[in-house]
Parts: sequence; structure tokens; C-alpha cells
Amino acid sequence: MNNLTVSRSLGVGLAGLLAAASLAAAPAKAARTSKHAGQGITCVQCHGKSARKEAVPMRQCVGCHGDTVALAARTAQIKPTNPHQNRHYGTQADCNLCHHEHAVSENLCLPCHTRFTFQVP
Amino acid sequence: MSQEHHQNDLEPDPYTKRVLEDGLSRRSFLSRAAGGAAALGLSGLGSLPAEAATAPEAKGLAFGLSGDGGATLSFLPKPRPIRDREISETLTFDVVVVGAGASGVPAALSAAENGAKVAVIQKAPFALSQGNTGSGVDLATSEKAGVEALVARLIADSNHRCDPKLIRQWAYNSGEAVRWVIDRARKGGATVVDQGSPVQRAILKVNGYPMGYVTSFFGPKPYTTGDGMRSLAQTAEKAGVRFFYNMPAVQLVQARSGEVLGVIARGADGKYRKFLAKKGVILATGDYQNNKAMSDYFVPDVKHLGRKQLDKTGDGFALAYWAGGVFEPIGHTKMLHDFDAGPPSMCDMPFLAVDRKGRRFVNETVEMSLLNNYLRDAENAGHYSQIFDSNYMTQAAAWPGKLISPEGLKNYMPDDPSPKKGVFESQVNTHVAGTLEELARKIEADPATLVATVKRYNEVVASGKDSDFGKPADRLIPVMQPPFYGIHRRVRVSAICSGMLVDERHQILNAEGKPIKGLFAIGNLGGGFYGGVDYPLTVFGLSLGRCYTFGYLTGRHVARL
Ligand SMILES: Cc1cc2nc3c(=O)[nH]c(=O)nc-3n(C[C@H](O)[C@H](O)[C@H](O)COP(=O)(O)OP(=O)(O)OC[C@H]3O[C@@H](n4cnc5c(N)ncnc54)[C@H](O)[C@@H]3O)c2cc1C
Ligand code: HEC
Ligand code: HEC
Ligand code: HEC
Ligand code: HEC
Repeated sequence: MNNLTVSRSLGVGLAGLLAAASLAAAPAKAARTSKHAGQGITCVQCHGKSARKEAVPMRQCVGCHGDTVALAARTAQIKPTNPHQNRHYGTQADCNLCHHEHAVSENLCLPCHTRFTFQVP
Repeated sequence: MSQEHHQNDLEPDPYTKRVLEDGLSRRSFLSRAAGGAAALGLSGLGSLPAEAATAPEAKGLAFGLSGDGGATLSFLPKPRPIRDREISETLTFDVVVVGAGASGVPAALSAAENGAKVAVIQKAPFALSQGNTGSGVDLATSEKAGVEALVARLIADSNHRCDPKLIRQWAYNSGEAVRWVIDRARKGGATVVDQGSPVQRAILKVNGYPMGYVTSFFGPKPYTTGDGMRSLAQTAEKAGVRFFYNMPAVQLVQARSGEVLGVIARGADGKYRKFLAKKGVILATGDYQNNKAMSDYFVPDVKHLGRKQLDKTGDGFALAYWAGGVFEPIGHTKMLHDFDAGPPSMCDMPFLAVDRKGRRFVNETVEMSLLNNYLRDAENAGHYSQIFDSNYMTQAAAWPGKLISPEGLKNYMPDDPSPKKGVFESQVNTHVAGTLEELARKIEADPATLVATVKRYNEVVASGKDSDFGKPADRLIPVMQPPFYGIHRRVRVSAICSGMLVDERHQILNAEGKPIKGLFAIGNLGGGFYGGVDYPLTVFGLSLGRCYTFGYLTGRHVARL
């Protein structure tokens, strides 16, 4: 398992540092926000065996949840717009931009599209 | 300055001189730190106490010290170079373009058409850009004196701080370049037209000299230049350009001499790839509006204002800076617009304007593109509303701009069920209501405040003199007759337009004013084209027009090296 960050820009550079700063408060174990703890999924399945628990690359999520095009097709009917298919990323938005395992998930789109009020699990 | 930089031969022009003196590079920072407090004070880098400035080795300075011993901006420590054994694959090209946007895609195609083997490495899953209009000067229908007059106008728009030779380069090459983009994008299937001169109404004559324009329009919305660049990328692929998507550049490969030899990028699989460039690397990664530290540092004005783009973390700036390039001095030029909430043709019409709470805040003859300067606090965060009553079609008929009828306004109303055309449906934000209180709720202002504001405004209008803000009497019309209208705009950062110091070949210069071999910057990453507080709207589509033009020229130049 490699230890590269999922950050979409200069991983070892500035964005990496900025991302690291926002991860300051580390959750010791699965919190109430977890979508996986109750499914028998272990820390290792996302984080690998690396001693340092850090951002999980998107390919890890896709590895279990399957192709992003198929995921987008499943949520195609969601109003007001499909969160998994949009003009900025196509179907390839990084899952971690919205879904969080150890924190409350967030709606990436809302600050810019105030009527895209979907709830992110 | 206590340090003399010895220029070898030519004295640089005033623009370049200023950026070398006051801009930021790893090198210039070091020499300034050595120069001590006086030098730091002169360069206006921040509010360091004098003691701290004389002890640059102290930890925790505003611009800190990097681990490699060079003094840098604290948010820009030079990373450990990625080692060869970490590279999964090495590919060799003549030209490597970083970023597939409004400047990068044209650069790549232009280089390919001039015989180069070209790669484009792109962070996003596809080519990505934004906006609709990109412009150039049609030399055949323009008087030379007019071209020069327009150049002078643009220099004045930039408060005389830009590099005149780059403005001239745009003026004399943009017609050809924009036409070329239209033609090649169309070949790739784009929906694009040349709107020519009519849309540039205000500059059909400059200082009395006739002018003609080439105005490319990728649209109507929601179709944009982003779609256009994807079509242009198709044409480029046919011309042999190879595109690598989901492949952000993370480091440059640089020889000891300083020459840039290539780029290292990271794929979605997490693996590093090395792209060697025999002739040159062209950086075209756009602006840095999504990099908070960089924005706060270079344009603190927009600290509380929203953004319109995503993932523009200034990667190219970091790469260029690490390679020795120079940032233009603090106080970068910004572009904050909202053409989408209501009809664009009404955005500068001087209706009553109220801030987010509902208070009048400005003489409304100030253009929309400048209002960000009044609304940059955290509370307003760029929000304001234009307010008018049902008599607007007659009472504002003589104003400059173009009124849209109540029927037409429905196209901009999210609460109106009519299907929307030619707009970004998610961004429209125009409202109508029977009472001011109801309107206030729809535009998310405070009802009591809005009612009081309108009452006072109507008194001012009745008096025939704007004793509150001095707006001309013929721009005063009452807000009395329901239904009432409100266009709730929110200006956000469309782009930041200042960049790294380049010469007229768009080659990045180091702190000594010498070109860095093999390294070029275009688009918003390239400096020298602006300099004012806000991006000027004299030429509609100047920004994209400049991106296309410098992409076209630079691709060709590097291919021929
Ligand atoms: C909503 C909106 C409307 C606008 N309308 C207009 C208009 O009508 N007319 C006009 O003139 N201007 C307009 N502008 C401004 C104009 O879009 C920009 O100035 C212009 O796109 C800048 O071009 P660029 O090539 O510098 O960057 P971009 O076109 O933004 O392209 C940069 C590219 O680099 C890629 N990239 C970033 N980092 C990396 C990396 N590390 N590795 C690889 N690739 C990377 C990005 O994914 C992106 O595709 C508008 C802007 C916005 C936001
Ligand atoms: C579904 C995948 C997933 C699982 C399972 C998971 N994590 Fe995480 N973890 C993440 C992601 C993603 C991050 C990055 C931060 C974020 O987006 O929430 C992260 C971050 C962390 C961090 C870094 C610091 C921080 O503040 O977020 C720690 C520590 C951590 N996880 C511990 C654990 C432990 C312990 C477990 C098992 C109980 C676990 N994780 C299970 C996805 C997972
Ligand atoms: C080891 C396999 C595995 C990995 C890795 C994994 N997941 Fe899951 N995930 C599951 C399973 C199983 C479920 C529960 C069943 C379901 O809803 O699909 C689940 C549930 C979810 C849900 C809740 C779905 C709902 O219906 O509410 C989300 C959201 C989610 N995962 C996102 C992620 C993200 C983001 C990552 C990467 C950080 C990730 N997952 C990594 C297996 C995995
Ligand atoms: C823009 C924010 C956003 C991003 C990015 C995003 N999601 Fe989601 N996701 C959502 C929302 C919102 C829902 C809830 C949809 C609904 O209302 O049913 C959802 C639902 C899901 C579900 C449950 C729905 C189902 O039918 O399976 C899974 C699983 C999931 N997401 C996984 C992912 C994965 C994996 C990624 C990355 C490839 C991802 N998401 C990226 C916002 C996002
Ligand atoms: C930083 C602000 C920002 C974020 C975050 C953002 N968008 Fe956008 N989006 C815009 C802007 C500005 C436009 C219109 C101009 C353009 O295309 O660039 C737009 C256009 C769109 C459009 C087409 C235009 C329309 O209104 O019909 C869709 C659909 C869209 N975005 C979906 C999303 C989704 C889904 C998300 C979350 C994954 C998202 N956006 C996140 C700023 C943003």
C-alpha cells in the first residue's frame, strides 16, 4: 500500500500541507458518521496496513463501490441534479469531496449552487 | 534597496523592473532578508515587526523558512524532489503542455501544427474551462491609430501597471488567433460563432479611429468555452497531440543549470510519470483562486468572497516559483462578476441597489464588475440586489443597457415554472413579489430594512437630488408600483488575472530577469497583462481572447525552437 494522499493537486507540495492541516483532529475509532463500521468493514480495507492513517485515495472507494458511471446511473433521478454526474468532474468527482467516514459528510455543490440541497450520506 | 542587482546588458523595461524589485521569488526573498528590515519594509511584504525581519532565521515568520534552507513563502516550501525510482514510466515529447484549458489546448494544437510531438497533461478528467466570449482585433478593418488607441486604453485600464508589449502583442495577433480557434474548434464539433464587431458596441471607435473585432462566442449557456475546448482537444488529438487526463503535474524536472527538462505528474493510480520535453514545458494551469493561502497573500480583498471555479490551487504558480520564477507583486488583479442571476444587459443599469441586509450602499452608477469592492466583508460576501418596480420598462427606457420585459425576466426566475433558455438554470436569481416584504424574503434581505431603504430612496427620488450618494438625477426612479422586482446578484471570483513574470515569448524569467530555459507560462498564470484593481470590461472577452492568442503564439514558438 502506498502512502500518497488523494489530494487532487500537488500531493507533496502545498495542497498536501493544507490538507494535512485540516486533518488535525484524528478520530480514534469509527464514529457515528461511519457508513462502514456496521457493515463489517475494517480500518485496513480503506487505509491499508500503513501505520499512518491518512486520506484514502478515491480508487480505494471505487474498488468496492464499482465503476463511477454505474454509480452515476443509480443516482440519475435525484433532484435537483445528479451528485455523481456533473459538468465539473463528469462522473469522476473525488468521493471524499462529499462523503466522509469520520466526520459529517458535506455537500460540495451547495456553496455555489444554493438550490442543490441534497443530503449526502 | 541595499542590494544591487547587476543587470548584465540591457536595462529591463519599467514593468519588468518593478516586478523584479517588488515581486516574489525564492531568490529575491533571500536577498531581501539579507537586506534587513529596511528592504522588507520597502517591499511591502507584510506587517512584520522590525526585529523579526532582521532575524530571518527565526521560526514562524509570515513567510517562514523552508526545510531546504531557502527562505520562501510559508505555504510554498519546495518539496523533496521525486526520485527516479519512484517514477513508473517516462515518456518523451518535444513540447509538454500542463493544463487543458483556454490557453493550454490552443497551445498544444498550435505546437502540433508546427511539427512538434506534443503531450497535454491535465488535472481534470477532461479539458476544462469557462466563459463564452473571447475576443481579438480584426486588423483588416481597424485603423492602426485605433489599435494603438485601444492599446493605450487597456494600459490605462490596468492603471499603467501592465507590460505594454504584451498588450500590443495581443492587439496585433489576436484577430488571427481567435479566428484560428473558431475554425479548429468547429472542426472538432464545437458550437461557436464569430459575433464580430457589433457586440463590442462601446469600442467601435477608439479616440475616433474605427476598429473591427473578431469575437468568438461558445454558447449559448449552459454551453461554454469548456465545451469548446473539449472540441478543440478533439481536433488536437487528430493532429497527433496526446492527452493525459486525471494527471496533475506535481513537479518540474530541472537541471542544475536551471533548465527545465520536463514535468512529473501523478495519475489516478497514484503512480508518478515523467514527461520529458525536448523543447519546452508550457504551463497553462489557470489561476489560484482555490488556494486559500495564496489568495489571502496576493489578493486579500477576496478573503470573504465566493469562488466560481474549482481545483484552481495555483499548481502552476508553485511549479514556476520553485523553478525560480517571480510572482507579480501583491495586490493582484481580480475578476468578480455575476452575469447570471438576471439579464446580463441589465447588470450595469443604475436601479436602486441594496446590500445583503437591504441597505443602500453605493451610487448605483458603479458597474457590477466593481461592486465587489463594496461588498467584500464577511456579512455581505458579494451579495446585493437590484430593486425596481413595475414601471421600469418606461421609466428606465433612456438608460444605457438593454431592458428585458417582465415576460423575459421569467427566464431568470427560479420560482417561475417556465423552461429556461440560454442561462445557467442553477444560477438564475430574479424575483417578483406583490409587496416589498415578500420581495425581501425572496432576495433573502431583511424585510424591515428593505422597506425603510425604499422609503428613503423614494424621498430622495421625489426631491430630485440624490443627497445620500450623489447619483445623477436622471438615474433616479421611484420604487412604488407593485409588483416589485429584485435581482439578487452575488459577485464571486471568476478569475484572478495576475501571474508570473514572463517576457514576450512567454518564457518565465528568474529573479535576475533572465529567461528560465525550457519554461513558459500562458493564460492567467502568465503575468503582465493586467495590473489594475479589477479586470477591465472595455473589450468583452479580453481574458479568453488573450488566453487563445498567447496559447497560439507560444505553442508555435516553442515548437520551432
Ligand atoms: C463563470 C465564468 C465565466 C467567465 N466568462 C468569461 C468570458 O465570457 N470571457 C472571458 O474572456 N473570460 C471569462 N471568464 C474568465 C476565463 O474563463 C478565464 O480567465 C480563462 O479560462 C483562463 O484560462 P486559463 O487557460 O488560464 O485557465 P483555465 O481555462 O481555467 O484552464 C486551466 C486548466 O489547467 C488545469 N490544471 C490545473 N492545475 C493543473 C495541474 N497541476 N496539472 C495539470 N492540469 C492542471 C485545469 O484543470 C484547467 O483545465 C469567465 C470565468 C468564469 C469562472
Ligand atoms: C470507508 C473507508 C474508511 C474506513 C473503513 C476507515 N477510514 Fe479512516 N479515513 C478515511 C478517510 C477518507 C480519511 C480522510 C479524512 C476524511 O475524509 O474523513 C480517513 C482518515 C483517518 C485518520 C486521519 C485523521 C483524521 O482526522 O481523519 C485516522 C486516524 C483514521 N482515518 C482512522 C481510522 C480507523 C482507526 C479506522 C477503523 C476504525 C478507520 N479510519 C476506518 C476512510 C476510512
Ligand atoms: C471494502 C469495501 C469498501 C470500501 C473500501 C469502501 N466502501 Fe463504502 N460501503 C461498503 C459497503 C459494503 C457499504 C454498505 C452497503 C452499501 O450501502 O453499499 C458501504 C456504504 C457506503 C455509503 C453509504 C451508502 C448509502 O446507501 O447510504 C457510502 C456513501 C460509501 N460507502 C462511500 C464510500 C467512500 C467515499 C469510500 C472511500 C473513502 C468507501 N465507501 C470505501 C463498502 C466499501
Ligand atoms: C457532490 C457530492 C458527492 C460526491 C463527490 C460523491 N457522492 Fe456519493 N452521494 C452523494 C449524495 C448527495 C448521495 C445521496 C443520493 C440520494 O439522495 O440517494 C450519494 C449517495 C451515494 C451512495 C449510495 C447511493 C447508491 O444508490 O448506491 C454511494 C454508495 C455513494 N454515494 C458512493 C460514492 C462514491 C464511491 C463516490 C466517488 C466515486 C461518491 N459517492 C461521490 C453525493 C456525492
Ligand atoms: C466553486 C463553485 C462551484 C462548485 C463548488 C460547484 N459548481 Fe457547478 N457551476 C459553478 C459555476 C460558476 C457554473 C456556471 C459556469 C460554469 O460552467 O463554469 C456551474 C455550472 C454547473 C452546472 C451547469 C449549469 C446550470 O446551472 O445548469 C451544473 C449542472 C453544475 N454546475 C453542477 C454542480 C454540481 C453537481 C456540483 C457539486 C459536485 C457543483 N456544480 C459544484 C460553480 C460551482
